[in-house]
Amino acid sequence: MSILPSARKQDIPPYQGDDDVCPVCKSDRYLNHNMKLLVTPCYHKMCETCVERLFSMGPAPCPVCHQILRQSSFYEQIFEDLTVEKEVRIRKRIAMTFNKRQEDFKTLNAFNDYLEMVEDITFNLLNDVDVQETEEKIGRYKRENRDLIYKNISKQQREEKLQHLISEQERTKRLQQREEYRRQLMDEEREKKMAKDSVIDALASSDKDAKEIVQTKMVQLKRSSLRHRDASKRSKFDVSALLGDLDENSDEENSGDEDMEGTFDPTESPYAPIHISMKQTYIDPNPAFRHPALTAAGMSREIHQRYLLEGAMSGLFAPPL
Amino acid sequence: MSDKRELFEQSSQFRHWRYTPSSLSALRAANNQQGIARVRQSLLAESSLDGNSARTAEAENNMLTPADELGLINYYLQKIRDYATVYKFNSTVKATAITFMKRFYLHNVVFDYPPKGIMLACLYLATKVENSFVKIDDFTKPLARTKVTNSDVLDYEFVVTQSLQFDLAVHHPYRPAYGFFLDMQTYVEDITVLQKTYELAQKYIDQAVFTDLVFYYQPAQIALGAIKLAAVETRCDVDQYLTSQFDARALESLYPILDNVQEEIRKYQPVSMKEAQVIDRKLILCRNPEKNPSSSLYKSKNPEVPYVSDSDSD
Repeated sequence: MSILPSARKQDIPPYQGDDDVCPVCKSDRYLNHNMKLLVTPCYHKMCETCVERLFSMGPAPCPVCHQILRQSSFYEQIFEDLTVEKEVRIRKRIAMTFNKRQEDFKTLNAFNDYLEMVEDITFNLLNDVDVQETEEKIGRYKRENRDLIYKNISKQQREEKLQHLISEQERTKRLQQREEYRRQLMDEEREKKMAKDSVIDALASSDKDAKEIVQTKMVQLKRSSLRHRDASKRSKFDVSALLGDLDENSDEENSGDEDMEGTFDPTESPYAPIHISMKQTYIDPNPAFRHPALTAAGMSREIHQRYLLEGAMSGLFAPPL
Repeated sequence: MSDKRELFEQSSQFRHWRYTPSSLSALRAANNQQGIARVRQSLLAESSLDGNSARTAEAENNMLTPADELGLINYYLQKIRDYATVYKFNSTVKATAITFMKRFYLHNVVFDYPPKGIMLACLYLATKVENSFVKIDDFTKPLARTKVTNSDVLDYEFVVTQSLQFDLAVHHPYRPAYGFFLDMQTYVEDITVLQKTYELAQKYIDQAVFTDLVFYYQPAQIALGAIKLAAVETRCDVDQYLTSQFDARALESLYPILDNVQEEIRKYQPVSMKEAQVIDRKLILCRNPEKNPSSSLYKSKNPEVPYVSDSDSD
């Protein structure tokens, strides 16, 4: 059973406390900075040196619970709490054997019974209740369902592989996009630089007006950058095409609103409009608008001029009493 | 054409303060008659109070005519302009104060309220209305030489506001004149001539606010009349602007109004100090003792209460 490699695969660092003490030789991290605590299959800790000393000559009893252990079955601690460590390992081991899925059962009740059984076994192992009996049960189950277990394992492996492939694909796609963007930026930079160089060349070689040359070149440059922007816009447009259905719906709502128009306009003035014709610009000696505070709230010279013109035209043709 | 009414028709100026020349003079004559009757009555009451009947005969010989009243009022309107210049108020405050005083004397007579005090109250009220507020202490400080106190200004304030029927928004020809100055730029080529015309028109508007034109015509009409009057001097072609901007039928009704405005502005004559002094001396004799704090009638009706103004108390 390969529990340890799977933990290593996920790059989970082994747990190391600052005040670790080996329960066998009583040496601690203060005396031996590189001390490494290992866990036995019976969930007792001891340091690497002790393991070397006790188990290098072959299987030996655990110094705490006298269970016979081998050196190869020791592993590094991952969780600080050994009960958690124990639960995780047992659950992992059980999951390898009891890997049936819901689709392997005819009814939901049968599946739930199965899950109940698995949970019972796990509980027994965790709390050392009828360990012998439970182990026998597991062995029996393993023998009876060997084919199905292997089938489900391979199924799971396939799924994992697929998941891995998908994430890998996404990663490469992201990388490509980034590369694309960087290339675009570089292209633009290069083009700008070329345009600049060509302007300088033109200025040096031709005898036309300098201002004119700069202007025409600038226009060219602008056009090319516009082309780039168009291209990027087009790619964005593809995305928006996917959302076509949504847009159609909102269009319908808008057309409904248009029908309402003409009946009520809350911003409509209750007074008859004053007809004025505004010029683009006026010679306006009013000094008030030089102060920025006056224009900060949205007032503008144009609004004020409109107000003045309306003042001139309002009541101009009112007959006297 | 929409059936909506125009905005200016909703203004209190349009609804409450429009008169014809004849209705205006009739109103003033009626006010004068009622005022004289009130003076007689209270003089009689006073003579019975202190047994001095010589004053009644003296007042009878010096009663002010409507023209006298108007002359005195107009003199103090000019004083408003002078005061406003001292305080550096803008022309809108000036014009508003003048209009307030003119409106006030459509419902009151100088027998009851001598224009000297009303003038200050109108000016002080106008500063508040036209957003150029000054504190009352700052307002009376330059007047210390003439012994005007805070209460002299503030006592009349409510009477004035009440007589104005609380119509405090006044529309002047200055804004329309500026609007015409802008609009005429579309048709008048020479901008310096136009600018000169506008500046001159402003001076004519300053005169127009003293006249009764404000009771007859709309601000825009007065402004255009003043511009036309100014254009005569600067040789600015206003008629060309008018004919190209407005249609002929509308102009037909507008021209008599503009002519009248020009006529009135041209006719305007300031009242000289001498004339005012003559009327003022008469007024001292025929003032309504009921409203005169120094008369014995007033004192008998209003037992003296020491006055404490807000600014004096703190």
